[in-house]
Amino acid sequence: MFDFLTRIWVDTSGTIFEVALQPALYAAGLMMWADRAQEWLDFALLGVVQVVLVYAVCRPLEALHPVEPVSDHAAIRTDVLYTLLARLGLLPLIAFVLLSSAERMLNGLLADTGFVPPTLETLFPALRDMPVVALLLYVVILDFGEYWRHRFQHMFGWWYALHSVHHAQRQMTFWTDDRNHLLDDAIAALWFGAVALLIGVPPAQFVLIVMLRQLAESLSHANVRLSFGSLGERLLVSPRFHRIHHGELSAGEHGRNYAVLLPVWDWLFGTADFDRKSYPRTGDPDAPESLATGGWLRQQVDGLKQFGRALRGR
Amino acid sequence: MRLHPLLLGLLLAAAPGDARADLLYVLNSGAASVSVLDARSRTEVKRIPVLREPHHLVLTPDGSQLVIADSGGNELLFVEPATGEVTRRERISNPYHLEYSPDGRYLVIASLRRDQVDIYDAAKLELLHRFSPGDMPSHVAFSPDSRHVFVTMQGDKAVVAFDLETRTQLWSAEVGPEPAGIIWHRGKLLVGIMGADHFVELDPETQAVRPAFTIGRGAHTIFPSPDGRALFATSRVDSRVAEINPDTLAVRRIWNIPGGPDCLTFDPEGRIWMTLRWTGRVAILDPLDPQGTEPPWQVIRVGRSPHGIFFKPRRDGVTASFARALPGAASGTRPMADAPPPGATQPRPMPGGATPAAVR
Repeated sequence: MFDFLTRIWVDTSGTIFEVALQPALYAAGLMMWADRAQEWLDFALLGVVQVVLVYAVCRPLEALHPVEPVSDHAAIRTDVLYTLLARLGLLPLIAFVLLSSAERMLNGLLADTGFVPPTLETLFPALRDMPVVALLLYVVILDFGEYWRHRFQHMFGWWYALHSVHHAQRQMTFWTDDRNHLLDDAIAALWFGAVALLIGVPPAQFVLIVMLRQLAESLSHANVRLSFGSLGERLLVSPRFHRIHHGELSAGEHGRNYAVLLPVWDWLFGTADFDRKSYPRTGDPDAPESLATGGWLRQQVDGLKQFGRALRGR
Repeated sequence: MRLHPLLLGLLLAAAPGDARADLLYVLNSGAASVSVLDARSRTEVKRIPVLREPHHLVLTPDGSQLVIADSGGNELLFVEPATGEVTRRERISNPYHLEYSPDGRYLVIASLRRDQVDIYDAAKLELLHRFSPGDMPSHVAFSPDSRHVFVTMQGDKAVVAFDLETRTQLWSAEVGPEPAGIIWHRGKLLVGIMGADHFVELDPETQAVRPAFTIGRGAHTIFPSPDGRALFATSRVDSRVAEINPDTLAVRRIWNIPGGPDCLTFDPEGRIWMTLRWTGRVAILDPLDPQGTEPPWQVIRVGRSPHGIFFKPRRDGVTASFARALPGAASGTRPMADAPPPGATQPRPMPGGATPAAVR
């Protein structure tokens, strides 16, 4: 089954690349980016699949058993725009264009120091023969990294000034997952790059796991009264678990439930709230109104202003 | 019924053909693996996992090992070509295209993702010198005397030359947008201009550049046939393979092969095995087939984004480096100064017949 799906994927992606993307690259004088463009195409196609899958899973759940009625459709439309920009590859593409020269320079500087970035498999050679175990370990380690990034987003005022764009949403739905300030996304990419320097970037097959992970993240933001039970809540972040994190009383430094995928990190570091009855109202009472109800551009501009004020200590 | 392991082993060893079938190595750059195919049954017999992203491979000067460059995994893998066994791994930052000097003293590695060209002592794999010549070093080719190495710079529209004795950069010559594959051919360099539809000829003495031949958009790489009677060039956008007259550089024939033909390898019969980057397949083309330029050619599905490819004969008296003793070896990325002159090859054997004398 997996092979069958992989073949369909390779044929579809290959055809699109050959018929549409590669001729466009050629016409634009960008053939030297063909390999990376193929990776980007995969990302964008996976994004389409993700959006369809997320919608197919989460939308019926939200309709069946919502936590709260939908009162602000405009706010949701803004989140839809965030999702499309992030998952269909536009923002990653811009980031790549802006950062690829810097990335090559950094790689050269690192090579000059004699440092060869490792991978988990070179650090633990036994993993070479256990690719599935290696992939699962990558998931766990990267999720651990994400937990701490998320904690730092709430710990440092300047960082929360950006992250509050995500928390300001009072009408939280499965679309809210990608609602982030661009600068916050850029810092997240640097964070991921630093982790990659320590343990490597997982292989191409990892994108499937990333896809499942993002599905879980979208579900965790869904407007649905859903708990995974006393055991499940401790294994995987649920909509209830994450809604507590988005609760009005949980904004800023008073956060709980920072985990992105695996709640075990909150458990280990004392930030878990497993109160299974609670489905609080979401939003950030201290955030400017524009971050809650403004359009995409307004949120970006005001988020940046808020970030500047935080840096100046005001 | 349960077979005794010893009996099972004997039966497997006695299985007709498979034990000695020729092998084909295909680097699946998008699937973090190397497919090892039985060239006779055209099925995958082994898949070697690698860390990230293998692109190019090269045979060691003594022909005993295949060196596979895993650029994303920062690793060189040394593989026993007759069995596919990984014998050694070396940590090297982002090895993309690589080649040994004709005298076997140097290994030069171009690193596309760190803008550097590394000169290694081939025997010790010790870094001798590192150049930072510009934007996106791509493919590497030597002069037959092993004195000079030439590297295409995709981001700079240029070819740069290095002197391996003095370890200095000699010159840089603009050749056209996004140059990719490069070979030495009869005292000149042939360079695929990926941002255009043609190859250029570059004189390493004067750095004069002139158009060589046109094959289609996305002109990419070029390989001499082992018998020295043709050059075969690929274009990735128009998806073509072209046969080039090595004397006149005129295009003899063009095959339209969908899927983005990229790297080529030749079997002792002169058939071409090529990777099709965008469709995850290998195509087999017989340039001597009288059917000419029309399909069907045969294709084999391999892993994602196949790139480097190598044919390993497993016949009596035919080594992995069989092509290096044939006239075609005078051209290429590792041109042999002592290759036999053109015309020294025997006629191609009939299908199913003996291996040509010249490759023994």
